[in-house]
Amino acid sequence: MRVKLFAAYALAALVLMAAAVLTAPHASYSRQDREAPFAAASRKHPAGTDALGRDRLARVAAALLLSLTGAAVASAATTAAAAGIGALAAFGKAHVGWTAMLICDVFLALPWLFLLMMVRSALPLTTSPASSAAITFLVLAALGWPACAQAVYRGARNLRNSEWMFHARAGGLRSAQMMRSVIPNLIPLLLPQFLVSIPAFVIAEANLGALGLGIGEPLPSWGGMLLELDNSATLFDTRWVYFPVALLITVLLLLEAAAGEA
Amino acid sequence: MRTLKMRIWIATFSIAALFAPALAHTCAAQAAPRMPGELAWTIGYDPKTFDPAKVDDQESELVRYLTAGVLLRFDRFTQKIEPQLAESWNLSPDGKTLTFKLYSGLQFSDGSSLTSKDVAWSIRRVLLPATGAPVAEEFLSPSGVTIDTPDLRTVIVHLPQRVIGIGKIFDEIAIEPASRPSEGRVTSGPFIVAEYRRSQYVRLRPNPHYAKHDASGHPLPYAAGVRLDILENHEQEIRLFEHGEYDLIDSLPPDYFELLKKKTPSSVRDLGPSLNTEQMWFNQAPQAPLPAWEKAWFQSRSFRVAVSQAIHRADLARIAYLGHATPAYSFVSPANAAWYDSKIVAPRADVAAAKAGLANAGFRFHDGVLQDSAGHPVRFSILTNAGNDARLKMATLIQQDLAALGIQVTVVPLDFPALIERLMHTQDYEACLLGLENVDPDPNAMMNIWLSNSPNHQWDPSEKTPATSWEAEIDRAMNRQASSSNDAERKQAVDRVQQIVADEQPFIYLVYPNVLVAFSPQLKGIQPAVLEPELVWNAESLRLEGTR
Repeated sequence: MRVKLFAAYALAALVLMAAAVLTAPHASYSRQDREAPFAAASRKHPAGTDALGRDRLARVAAALLLSLTGAAVASAATTAAAAGIGALAAFGKAHVGWTAMLICDVFLALPWLFLLMMVRSALPLTTSPASSAAITFLVLAALGWPACAQAVYRGARNLRNSEWMFHARAGGLRSAQMMRSVIPNLIPLLLPQFLVSIPAFVIAEANLGALGLGIGEPLPSWGGMLLELDNSATLFDTRWVYFPVALLITVLLLLEAAAGEA
Repeated sequence: MRTLKMRIWIATFSIAALFAPALAHTCAAQAAPRMPGELAWTIGYDPKTFDPAKVDDQESELVRYLTAGVLLRFDRFTQKIEPQLAESWNLSPDGKTLTFKLYSGLQFSDGSSLTSKDVAWSIRRVLLPATGAPVAEEFLSPSGVTIDTPDLRTVIVHLPQRVIGIGKIFDEIAIEPASRPSEGRVTSGPFIVAEYRRSQYVRLRPNPHYAKHDASGHPLPYAAGVRLDILENHEQEIRLFEHGEYDLIDSLPPDYFELLKKKTPSSVRDLGPSLNTEQMWFNQAPQAPLPAWEKAWFQSRSFRVAVSQAIHRADLARIAYLGHATPAYSFVSPANAAWYDSKIVAPRADVAAAKAGLANAGFRFHDGVLQDSAGHPVRFSILTNAGNDARLKMATLIQQDLAALGIQVTVVPLDFPALIERLMHTQDYEACLLGLENVDPDPNAMMNIWLSNSPNHQWDPSEKTPATSWEAEIDRAMNRQASSSNDAERKQAVDRVQQIVADEQPFIYLVYPNVLVAFSPQLKGIQPAVLEPELVWNAESLRLEGTR
């Protein structure tokens, strides 16, 4: 419990710090200081600059907020969809449940990375970086619900077969009435699903970015930053820059996971 | 909470995957054992063929270059044609008859004699449609070519029509023993193919009957052999080069060049601009599915010139290429000795002039946003291929450069198939940033880009008739250079094309990436050239000195 509390506070602190960095005067994640590419830490750029002379601290902070917000929204969408479909499958007719789970399996078998790439290349070219980031996370959500739905389905089916449900049905409660008491009982299942999906989406976006197909320039993304790790020449020159980013992702994921531990 | 643990594990694994390249670096594989006096370097993939007539990829071409004996060699250093198996050659004034006189006493690597019969057979084989030799089409009408051999040392080739740069075509035709094609096992060049292990290496050994000697009469080649390791990974290549397993690296990316320079400054060399160009262009095709006003911008000369003036090419070279590129204003690089024209006048970086030019063309600035005369805000996207770091950086720099004109640019990296689909088929794009690799310095090789009816005429492919008067003039000038036998007249025509392109900016040239190479200080006789194969064009004169 103490770990959970600490994790939640640390996470909140990270978000506040990122917001503070970005609201500071003259902070810009996109302005190129062309006289100082790959600059070391200085008063002007506390974490140095990237290959195009952009402030790293501002970029890491913006990426943190962007990817956390995007992942949280995507996760909320996923969990809501999963709750609806999972509950419908568990409490509906047998063939409805069977069909819903079949669709889940089909979705899980899809090569999601290629799907994402296809969607990316089908987007109108003038889609602004902000909307393309939003679309990326929405597509991630659209592809991410089945695993969650299966978990909800299993939980809801146990609920349906539980003794008090049996009594309720025997007592003549209609499906719609039962639903009202089912949803609160599913919350202990849905909340962790929501929380564990967030890091999964952060990673999915980072992976997409590491392929060069994530969030568009000049918006920063952690995946895009880590893309440069692919190249040992830069890696060895500037490891003090990239390892913190990688470390930050790891810490963030562990914090989220710990905060989600119920 | 099993799912939770699993997910944490997956998350950690994904992070490990992101670090994988770095890990791979520490456990690089070993190169194959080296024989004494053997030169070793890497090629990126398996040569697709060892049959010199069928060569169509870069690595097969390298093997052909090292093994094949040819009548004429295009000297990569002087950029001039030199006779090789031929003692002399001449081209008739009408450009339709070539006469080669072979050296006497020529032999193949198996000791059999090389005569005009072998030469005629090898050329005929290349010309036969059944062989499928890519070189054949350079003869324009290969079926009409006839070959006579009046004696054992004379070969006469009759062409149905004049072919520009005919001498260079013979640089690509390997002379093989008549009726005994051997896939490089029996050759008349410096080396022969000795051993090939798929995905591992190609081993060449010296041709004991090679005709050339050095100034002191010592037989060439000096090296006891060549081993070409098949290795795609730059990290491993550099590591093994540092350990002395490889003697040279051609075409280093700028960041690896800098890395190697820090460790062994004496081993790297920036040879200056290559023949290759990086450029961006606007989609001017009338059938493109773009709004009419956008097409009007892209078809406006003033708009293209203003964009060109707003781009700081020196910054592109300095930041995207770490200084290892040269600002470009034309399609002929300064590395191209015969065709470069220093007198071309092209738009230079000048934001004030760009703004003035846009204002004259009816554009206006409104709250920091550029608008056309009808009030449409000027914004467009630049496509480039995902995964090319330098291009993405250039596009992002251009994004900021054009923001100074009030133009909003979106940078869109796409995977290559999706990019080609848009460029070649749907034409659904606004601007594109890509490069062009020029292997041949002769601008005649770029006919398919400049002729307005060509599908590779990127800014407006396959025009039925030239869309503008300047495109018609480019067509005329390119055809003039292709039909003239007078070098000065050809140069004049190409200079004219360069000036039109500089004036009209259908391609906005950005940089010539520099040729970056590395070679061991123990490798003697090396004379780096800008043309491929940069370091080994004189492979027969290369030798290793000292112990490694």
